[in-house]
Amino acid sequence: MQLKNKSRFRLSRAHLSLPYGLFLVCFVLAPLFVIIYYAFTNGEGKVTLENLLGFLENPKTTGTLLYSFGIAVVTTSVCLLLAYPIAYILARGKFRHKSVVLMLFIMPMWINFTLRITALKEILTIIEGNLAFHPFLNTIIGMTYDFLPFMILPIYTTLLKLDKSLIEASSDLGADALQTFLKVTLPLSVPGIISGIFMVFLPSMTNYVVLDMLYNSTYIMGSLIGAYFAAYDWHGGSMIALVLLMIILVFTLFTNRYADEDAGNGRGGVVSR
Amino acid sequence: MRKRTRRKTGMLVLASVTAAYLALHGMPQNNMQVFAKSEDEIVLRVCNWEEYIDTGDWDEEERIALDNGVEIFGEKPLYEDFEDWYFETYGRRVRVEYSCFGTNEDLYNQLNLGDTYDLVCPSEYMIMKLMAEGRLEPYSDTFYDKNNECNYYVNNVSPYIYNVMNTNEINGERWGKYAAGYMWGITGVLYNPEQVSLEEASSWKIFADERLKRQVALKDNVRDSYFAALGILKADLLTDEEFRSAPDYTKRLEDEMNDTSQETIDEAQALLEQLMGNIYSLETDSGKADMVSGKIVADYQWSGDAVYAMDQADEDDFELCFSVPKEGANLWFDGWVMLKDGIYGSADSEKQKHAAEAFVNFISRPESAVRNMYYVGYTSSIAGAQGDDTIFEYINWCYGAEDSEQDTIAYPLGYFFSGDSEDERYVITASPEQVDRQLYAQYPPEETLKRTVVMRYFNEETSKAINRMWINVRCFDIRDVPAAIWLAVIAVLLLIVFLCYNTGNRYRKFAEYGRNGG
Repeated sequence: MQLKNKSRFRLSRAHLSLPYGLFLVCFVLAPLFVIIYYAFTNGEGKVTLENLLGFLENPKTTGTLLYSFGIAVVTTSVCLLLAYPIAYILARGKFRHKSVVLMLFIMPMWINFTLRITALKEILTIIEGNLAFHPFLNTIIGMTYDFLPFMILPIYTTLLKLDKSLIEASSDLGADALQTFLKVTLPLSVPGIISGIFMVFLPSMTNYVVLDMLYNSTYIMGSLIGAYFAAYDWHGGSMIALVLLMIILVFTLFTNRYADEDAGNGRGGVVSR
Repeated sequence: MRKRTRRKTGMLVLASVTAAYLALHGMPQNNMQVFAKSEDEIVLRVCNWEEYIDTGDWDEEERIALDNGVEIFGEKPLYEDFEDWYFETYGRRVRVEYSCFGTNEDLYNQLNLGDTYDLVCPSEYMIMKLMAEGRLEPYSDTFYDKNNECNYYVNNVSPYIYNVMNTNEINGERWGKYAAGYMWGITGVLYNPEQVSLEEASSWKIFADERLKRQVALKDNVRDSYFAALGILKADLLTDEEFRSAPDYTKRLEDEMNDTSQETIDEAQALLEQLMGNIYSLETDSGKADMVSGKIVADYQWSGDAVYAMDQADEDDFELCFSVPKEGANLWFDGWVMLKDGIYGSADSEKQKHAAEAFVNFISRPESAVRNMYYVGYTSSIAGAQGDDTIFEYINWCYGAEDSEQDTIAYPLGYFFSGDSEDERYVITASPEQVDRQLYAQYPPEETLKRTVVMRYFNEETSKAINRMWINVRCFDIRDVPAAIWLAVIAVLLLIVFLCYNTGNRYRKFAEYGRNGG
């Protein structure tokens, strides 16, 4: 307090954001500009659209985009189908040891991920005999195994916070359980579903470690970018990174409205006082 | 060394971090201030492969007592031993800044980002590339003076390696002028003798064999896979008796295995695409464990890693063997080269160069070579000077037959030690099974080495074509998608949009109610 009186400098809340701001500039913004620079220049440093056209015209790079997209869509769908019932039961059910059950689903996140995938590899080998015959299936299993908790948690939280009086109202007004679920619970859990999709869809488009470890030798977006950099083609690699960034951006804008309303409403429910 | 080409998990992170580094520092020569601190001390910046030098700290029972009376024991890291030795020998202090790289390409990218080193240890093709770009500093004439006993490299290097280094040229200059050999090896097929016959494993065609569908593995890098593909494509020619007995066989083999014409690249692509349907995986590191656990029965392997895998298998009472295909195999080596950037960017380039050369000499001492071989598992280029049989005794210690063994064979290594294949002083008495196992992989016999060739570096244009070929092999082709899948995708997308719209509307209704009713 004394210090405050003596000097003109006052530590305000804004100052607390300085370290992160610095971090943001050094490690997010600066590299981003470097990527943009490389993406739109060629070896001689001239501005060009060659890299973008090269990406779009090559059936292999667009094929990789599609393949990654396919993996991401299937992984996300499987995660959603598995996670929603679990989250629903956990949030709505009357367990005596709810936290224990929840922990069972969250616990895998505490174990190192390469270790988990290695274990999964052995388990799958026992079941399938030879892993190499089903690379796509194995990838989906691996990704689902890896990302499932990220889908369960947000849905669970949203469902937990859901105002029970709405469900009671729904049944008071004559809706049966299915109708209540479809017309009240499900729509209200959309923010949770969206953030779950976010946390699963985007990483599964680029997480090539799972593919590598489960012997799927097809490139996805992450490994394709790596291959370009290993071949000293920084320009092409940066362009692919940028294309991926753009896709993510569009995806974010498309789904943002749900997230915003969620934040605007507070408490994740409809009833704000 | 080929062992450590595993792809870094954090490639993306790495790329952005290095990009940020580049943005912040520009092209730094920031090592200059290090010298300002203490004038007498030379700072030698060395960059080597990961886990490619003995780091000491051996347990007492690891002490190696050789038959010639020499005892080998690693107490401190070799580069720290070098610091002491340099001070004792030359009376000047040197401090080694030792760092590591993961792949040749990583090292090259690091150098381009402005990292400065005096001494680095890349593989032969990267040495050629750096040589062609004029970035290497030649060793001084005094380095090759055999009369100076501190010139351990020139006095101890194997005549075989010395010959390879000095008969190969890039742009009219011998490699030996710029590079000092460190480790070397060959490629071949690591196989499971219970499932695969020696004859099958003696051809690169094993990777196309339908009988072994999904039970063979190739390497996850373009140079090795391309080499195997060439071996299969040209098998008829390469195994032709006339071709093999031609007087210029080596030269012609080298040209064939370095064929990078566009037609060959296209053929290789078609073949590799077909092989992708037959192999278990493209691996870098996992192949060794998968061989030992029996998931795969044959694996394209580098000799050093093959030795490691065979050792592992031995511990599990399981047998693995190594073979070098008859079409020809790849001879590779890693060598120490000095970078002009580092040497001339330092305070006193003469002292700097002296320290760099002394470092190469120090780790070329037979004791250092044994320590490195013991720790790393690869084959050193050092054979030992005349009269010093430390290396030979070490091989004997590793692979020599016990005195009690009855059926032994003579395994001549004269070509490596004295340059004379008939030399009777350098014959290992080994058990017969070693002939297609560890000893064979670590020190291949001379007639096997006759069919090994060095793979040259790809110039920029070829490199582009080959990398494009590799990406094509690895990528999913959008044209392969059947119409049914397209229809399914469209249907799913429509469904998702419909659901989003429907549920979203309902959600918004609730939200509106929430706001108005609140």
